[in-house]
Amino acid sequence: MYYPFWDTSLSYGMLMAVISILHVFISHFAIGGGLYLVITETFARKRNDQAMLDYLQRLSKFFLLVTLVLGALSGVAIWFIIGLLNPSATEVLIHHFVWAWAIEWTFFVIEIAAAIVYYYGWQRMSARDHLAIGWVYFGAAWLSLFVINGIITFMLTPGAWTATGNIWDGFFNPTFWPSLFYRTGICVLLAGLYAMVVAARSKDVSLKARTARRNAAFGLIGLAIVVPTFFWYWQAIPGDLIANAQETMPATMRTIWESYLYIVLLVLVLILYGLVMPKRLNMVVAVVLMAAGLGYFGSFEFFRESVRKPYVITDYMYGNTLEVAKTAEYREGGYLAGIEFRTGDDGADLFRHVCRHCHTLDGYKPLLPAFEGVDREFIASMVRGSEAMKGNMPPFMGSSGEALMIGEYLHGRTDNRHLSEIYDVEGVQLGQKVYEVRCGRCHEIGGYNDKSESLIGLDDEDYLDLLDMAGEFADEMPDFTGDDEERAALIEFLKTIGKEQGGAL
Amino acid sequence: MNLPDYNFLSTPLWLITILQILTLTLHLTAMNFLVGGIIVVLWGRLTDRWQTPAVQSLARMLPTATAATITLGVAPLLFVQLVYPRHVYSASIVSAWFWLMIPVAVAVAYYLFYGASFAKNALKRPTLFYTIAGICLLYVSFVYSSVFSMAEHPADVKELYASSQSGLVINSNLSDYVFRWLHILLAAPVVGGFAAGLIGRDDPTAFSVGKKLLLWGMIGTSVFGLFYLLTLGDILAPFMRSPGIWILVPGILLAFAGLHFYFKRRFVPSGLALLASVLAMVTSRHYLRLIHLYYDPRALTIAMPSWTVTPQWSVFVLFLILIVIAILALIWLLRMVFSNRGASQGE
Ligand code: HEC
Ligand code: HEC
Repeated sequence: MYYPFWDTSLSYGMLMAVISILHVFISHFAIGGGLYLVITETFARKRNDQAMLDYLQRLSKFFLLVTLVLGALSGVAIWFIIGLLNPSATEVLIHHFVWAWAIEWTFFVIEIAAAIVYYYGWQRMSARDHLAIGWVYFGAAWLSLFVINGIITFMLTPGAWTATGNIWDGFFNPTFWPSLFYRTGICVLLAGLYAMVVAARSKDVSLKARTARRNAAFGLIGLAIVVPTFFWYWQAIPGDLIANAQETMPATMRTIWESYLYIVLLVLVLILYGLVMPKRLNMVVAVVLMAAGLGYFGSFEFFRESVRKPYVITDYMYGNTLEVAKTAEYREGGYLAGIEFRTGDDGADLFRHVCRHCHTLDGYKPLLPAFEGVDREFIASMVRGSEAMKGNMPPFMGSSGEALMIGEYLHGRTDNRHLSEIYDVEGVQLGQKVYEVRCGRCHEIGGYNDKSESLIGLDDEDYLDLLDMAGEFADEMPDFTGDDEERAALIEFLKTIGKEQGGAL
Repeated sequence: MNLPDYNFLSTPLWLITILQILTLTLHLTAMNFLVGGIIVVLWGRLTDRWQTPAVQSLARMLPTATAATITLGVAPLLFVQLVYPRHVYSASIVSAWFWLMIPVAVAVAYYLFYGASFAKNALKRPTLFYTIAGICLLYVSFVYSSVFSMAEHPADVKELYASSQSGLVINSNLSDYVFRWLHILLAAPVVGGFAAGLIGRDDPTAFSVGKKLLLWGMIGTSVFGLFYLLTLGDILAPFMRSPGIWILVPGILLAFAGLHFYFKRRFVPSGLALLASVLAMVTSRHYLRLIHLYYDPRALTIAMPSWTVTPQWSVFVLFLILIVIAILALIWLLRMVFSNRGASQGE
């Protein structure tokens, strides 16, 4: 909470995703592409295949423009964006890993210089020198992945480091090796898919067939590495992280299984258009392949980001930059004391530092609509109980007064009309809305932390009692602070739970 | 559980500071070469000396110079968080949108350089390309000056942030940084002029244009440097007592030595003197920044924050080995380029 908080209307998650997806795609492609170029060049030189060499030279021009310019700059942009969005986590990483990053930089220097010389060397260099430079490029690029992989995997699975604080424990953490192999497989896959796009444009049918076969081989080898190493990676993630994610984010976790459809599609199309009838390869097929490959890899990255929630560095720092080590300090002294950059509006400052990393007011994952038609106290208790809500949120460790300030801040900005007016509903339908807003975020009927069992078959008296003592069920659970109309409607709705769904809704 | 603390340094601060200063010097030199190169190339366009070999080779070097500038800029960006902890990051958040547009502007300039150099002479509008690229780089340098000078005034950072959290705030204290911005910017014609003279050493026009740029750039940068020094106000006295001044004076002398050697057409000593001058300027700038941040007027000293050092020597030594390997690799690559150059001409 040391740093000022950049309050842009855009979502932090989106900003981060746009830049990192771009960079991750390009940087993996830059490594695999290097391997593709040198291996293919070696074969082409051996067979004196001039058409193939010309094709490679074309490929490498685009390669230079994409990887060198966009790859380097999107990498720099990641530095910029993490410094803006999560300066505290960046600070932690820099203090621990500064020399690892400096090492990565040395590889980066070699990689960039070799890429430039490789491209300019097509016409000007002997075959042997040119190939040697290609290998140096690939080696340096892969080694920079090796280093950065240590830091990325550290954030998900810091492993023994949380006890020892030793950089080598953090670097060679439990997911280091599986992730390294997995990402290497992705590099090979993406290079093969990308080369397919270039091959599809070729007018020389025989050249097209030759390259398509080679590209398909690349793609399939990449997949053959990716599939088993993903399971290895999955095994290496501590079980409680996975279990927690499965409970609080079932939809996210399902996408990883759905992503296997991409793999099936990739395998079938690569075999068909790469090995069976490579001459029929065309742009549409190539683009479908590329999209499927990126879609698959994108869903992996999404999975990795999600499993880590609510942390940015597992067991060490939460997504909103609060430090696990300072839990006692926050609980005793509250948050405000630690916020250095104050704006004069404490509610706003608290809201930013506690919720805004993951939510917006009214954009992506908005909070204003979530709190329409409720009272200030209720919002405050939701803030206090945010850990219990679906979505895997960090615990609230500030004071109740601070929770109330956040409540006030949100309440002052959202629609304060009565729920029945906002949604134009009454009776059971109003009750359903009340349930959604006041209970459903912690107890999904038929889903997350379902409490239907305890809510079925009570009489009016029981329901009234239950709502009266709602706040006593758990620290995180709010008192029922709705008005009498809402209370009556909610009870009407609760009575319908477990009965014929259609009739009630 | 006792979680590892991150408030430590993994090598002594002076080591990190030296690396920060060295890499920043190289970055600024590359940047000045880049901006200076644009000036020369634009001059070539506007005076129909576009076909001059010196102008052509400078134009071809711009994409690579961009790559070098970026690569050399990454390292100081990494170290800055340790050398001036938190200050730069906080200031960048206040100007977040301007800051974030830096890599975008560099990307635009980069593609324009490639666009212009691939299209060679067929291109109809290289003047426009180079002008836009130049504007992009001016933008980048301005935002850097603005954010880094804001970072030197923690109280201003707080005040500016309190005025707006949107990230659309630019350092309003223009008088604090406009001279230093112009001071560093006018080093560009110095380096560009030097490069033009060096590359076109057999072409009298190139040499004399280089000379003009070098001379006027030097005059301009000196004047703005002096203005900058005079606007330091309260900081001037402590600066005059600090090691910064003892480094600044030889830095100025070295710059003039560079000019002198250029006039004598002795390019190697001239280039070395200019480079050493940039190094001296960056170092003295570092002291100035420390005074801004940590000067204690009562004790009349710079009260540096104290750090626990928990060394990671194994990683650091590995880094040293690898930096040597990287330098050897660069030399090897350059030799490859030059040893094969003859071969291609023979073909
Ligand atoms: C580490 C990230 C993170 C932080 C910090 C965080 N949340 Fe969430 N929150 C989530 C996620 C993820 C969801 C699930 C959103 C979804 O399913 O679309 C969620 C959902 C919610 C929802 C339900 C939204 C809906 O429309 O159903 C509410 C309400 C909410 N959060 C409030 C808060 C409040 C208040 C704070 C600050 C005290 C907070 N959150 C802090 C990640 C976070
Ligand atoms: C901020 C989160 C939150 C909200 C909102 C919330 N609860 Fe709860 N509720 C909890 C927690 C936490 C527990 C106790 C631990 C557990 O079983 O998950 C709990 C327990 C219960 C139980 C006890 C179940 C049992 O068998 O012991 C019932 C019933 C219940 N809630 C009903 C409701 C109803 C009805 C509402 C809406 C008026 C509601 N809750 C709103 C978090 C919440």
